[in-house]
Amino acid sequence: MRVKISGGATSQFGELWHVSPRDLVKRVVVEALKEAELSHKQINAIFVANMLSSSLGGQDHLGSFFAEELGLPVCAMKVEGACASGGLAMHAGVLGILSGHYEHVLVVGVEKMTDHAPSEVAQALMGAGSDSERQAGATFPALYALLARVHMEHYGTTETDLAYVAVKNHFHATLNPLSQFPFPVTVENVLASSSIADPLKLLDCSPITDGAAAVILSEDKQSASSADGQRTNNKKTVAIIASSVATDTLGLAERDNLTALKATQEAAQKAYTETGIGPKDVDVAEVHDCFSIAEILAMEDLGFVKKGEGGIVLREGKTRLGNPLVVNTSGGLKACGHPVGATGVKQVVEVYQQLMGRCGKRQVEKARIGLTHNVGGSGGTAVIHILQSFV
Amino acid sequence: MISPVKIWRNQKKIQTLLEQEGKILTHTTIFVPPAGFESQAPYVVVVVELTNGKKITAQLVDFDEQHLCIGQKVKTILRRTKDPTEEGVIPYGIKCTPIEL
Repeated sequence: MRVKISGGATSQFGELWHVSPRDLVKRVVVEALKEAELSHKQINAIFVANMLSSSLGGQDHLGSFFAEELGLPVCAMKVEGACASGGLAMHAGVLGILSGHYEHVLVVGVEKMTDHAPSEVAQALMGAGSDSERQAGATFPALYALLARVHMEHYGTTETDLAYVAVKNHFHATLNPLSQFPFPVTVENVLASSSIADPLKLLDCSPITDGAAAVILSEDKQSASSADGQRTNNKKTVAIIASSVATDTLGLAERDNLTALKATQEAAQKAYTETGIGPKDVDVAEVHDCFSIAEILAMEDLGFVKKGEGGIVLREGKTRLGNPLVVNTSGGLKACGHPVGATGVKQVVEVYQQLMGRCGKRQVEKARIGLTHNVGGSGGTAVIHILQSFV
Repeated sequence: MISPVKIWRNQKKIQTLLEQEGKILTHTTIFVPPAGFESQAPYVVVVVELTNGKKITAQLVDFDEQHLCIGQKVKTILRRTKDPTEEGVIPYGIKCTPIEL
């Protein structure tokens, strides 16, 4: 059996003071159901991806909360894994279909962050760190700054290399009407932006964002019934052919090596082994660029480039639209925005739309195989999905 | 507010980390702090490898610019960590300070 994507939708990402989490979810679910040509009554289970509803919004029990809102009294639960909540909820949804227990599953990610003061959001996000990191007054920019410093020391990566991540992702965001920051930035802009946790500056960091994304997963009966994989009609289908998760220590200090995110390496290896697909086969990828250094680490840890060469690839613009591998066509977390619970689901929606050929100006030509990479915390969780289109 | 019970429980862990020496593996200066640390910013956070092999994340305090480098030798000390709330217990924890050679 295979798991196919029947529909997917992303809301506008940004500072959406006029929209509640309920409305955000409803909009994307209605859109995804419409595309899937399914009635909401055909959905057998709901997996809600969210991190901060409890600490910021005072609302728990999101399964029942959104089941009520959607008029769907089925199995519903929240899945939380910090910024990897979306990826983990996707994983749970995929397992739900593969188990044979559910025919159609709704995965919806949502986060409402801009209602709160930045220092409150920074504190709430540190719930994803370790106790000693919180006691030290570390923030997420600080944890990635600690990783950046090590990468710079070991491989000669520069602040300019980091800046190129933001430049590329802002360029892609100019082609995505749903992105939070649809405007270009220059290397000079990034280098001149204010210091957050050095060497990371404001424009090295993903923003605080409101947003939601939904995916409807279904059993792919077509592929199950035909032994040779040939389809009886010519309708294009996008399937999730790998969904893998790996974890590492919660805190940075407990790790043996600070030049890589081991969870990313292990989750990627599992996905590549399961599918026989290698990094060279990937046409389009959405990677977890919560901070500029994170995209450089991702390029290396996913096997797209050798260890230490992530900065060079970004500097040379080799993952920009028009290249054999294009990374973060949505604008990434940096410029599309990072509503933490929604991000992992949005990544799947973006790659799905790419493989369906519906991305307009930011369409990657002949994209057939795509990868999503979602990280929780400073690398405590990593989730990889590989998507492939079939005709 | 941090639960006083949690603070009490953590005291035991703090004792085992005191009077230790180590070296800086990586460092950052934080300009935008989380809630509870506003009065301290900007401040430096380091990952330190202690001589017993254990690694810790902590603040670096009482240092000069030249101490802010990978490999700098430091020792652990006891300091107030977070700004307490009006009714809360004052939390203490481990910080690091450079050792002059």
